[in-house]
Amino acid sequence: MKHLNEEELIEHYYGEAASPARTARHLLECDLCADTYATLRQDLAAVKSVPVPARDAQYGEQVWQSLRSSLPAYEKQKRTWLNPNIWKALSYRKALGYATACAVLIAIAFFSGRQWEHQRSQSQSAVGSQPRQPIIFVVLDDHLDRSERLLIELNHADASMGVPVKAEASELLSANRLYRESATRAGDSELTSALDRLERVLVEIVNEPDSSNPAHLARLQKEMNTDGLLFEVRVLRSRIPGQQESHAIRRKGVSI
Amino acid sequence: MEENDHSIVRAVLSGDKEAYGALVVRHSQTVFRVAFRITGDEADAEEVVQETFLRGYQRLQSFESRSEFGTWIYRIAVNCALNMINKKKVEAAYQIAEETDPSRQQVQVSDTAAGPERVLLSQEIEAMQADAMQSLTTTECTAFTLRHMEDRSTTEIATALNISPNAAKQAVFRAVQKLRRGLAPLRVIA
Repeated sequence: MKHLNEEELIEHYYGEAASPARTARHLLECDLCADTYATLRQDLAAVKSVPVPARDAQYGEQVWQSLRSSLPAYEKQKRTWLNPNIWKALSYRKALGYATACAVLIAIAFFSGRQWEHQRSQSQSAVGSQPRQPIIFVVLDDHLDRSERLLIELNHADASMGVPVKAEASELLSANRLYRESATRAGDSELTSALDRLERVLVEIVNEPDSSNPAHLARLQKEMNTDGLLFEVRVLRSRIPGQQESHAIRRKGVSI
Repeated sequence: MEENDHSIVRAVLSGDKEAYGALVVRHSQTVFRVAFRITGDEADAEEVVQETFLRGYQRLQSFESRSEFGTWIYRIAVNCALNMINKKKVEAAYQIAEETDPSRQQVQVSDTAAGPERVLLSQEIEAMQADAMQSLTTTECTAFTLRHMEDRSTTEIATALNISPNAAKQAVFRAVQKLRRGLAPLRVIA
């Protein structure tokens, strides 16, 4: 059994033992420690407190009156946030509360800002990217539309009138080369194939030496299969987004 | 409703000097008691009370509201009382040294200090206890007084003496050990 040392006994006497219950139990079980503790209590009991001379109820007032004249008044403090006494006046709990609230506000402001910035950049990118495709589609659609009209005109061309679309074919030819190259780079084989066939027809039209010759016109229509090409161009146009709407609008316009 | 100490301190710092009177009235008895316990002299204790509240007023701006004013002024009172004891010792040592053998200054000073413990005890016990108390250092004596007579906790003693809680605890231990050695003859008498 480990005995209690003097320090532990003194702590126990003044009620500051780390484990009062365990110390008390040990003192009940161990006669040696109990005897030592009894001696300690006897010694300390002999050191009695000397009674403090009594002071009447007016004592505090007397002290104040003797001091009062020698104390200068404090100047009224300006309550600014930079004044350190403002912060001293706050309890730790309040100060912690204010600090937490500030941190939360800053965090909310930060994340709101990021969210707003993110949404803004998304909407900007949407605004920036959306028109680009329609512009491309509109230009391609315009090219195919012109090509379609040219093919219709070619199919219905009268032998006596010759090929009246030579100038238009020349303009479409240069544009068609660009579209074909773009379609090739994009890997759109269907569009590439259609534009390739269209290009050959356009080349034939542009290079036709005698556009008024009905035999030449018939050969062109037959060899180039302009009917099939016209159908193909219409199919391509139907693939372009927004084409249905523009068709509907166009049909409306036609019906009126 | 009685105004609390913190609001009074704020009022004083805002320029209301008269408000300090309420703090003096409220805490003067406690300050006097601890001053008397440490100095052992009624007149010295009263002087300590005056000095304590004067110093408290002058340093009121450094008072931090997270602590209690009572604890804060108690600490000032202990310091003032210790200063008083040291001052008395120096004065007494100087006077005695001129009259007697300078090599025995400390012994002479010890004899001149009248401890409060002598008042009610019998002559023999009183002398023994006084001698035992004289064997303590100022810190040990004050720590023991605050622990044994003022019933202050180790933490409060540490705060009042501006030392660590462990140092305060050790000061009390050493004081008790020295006192027990000094009072050992009493056990034989008993």
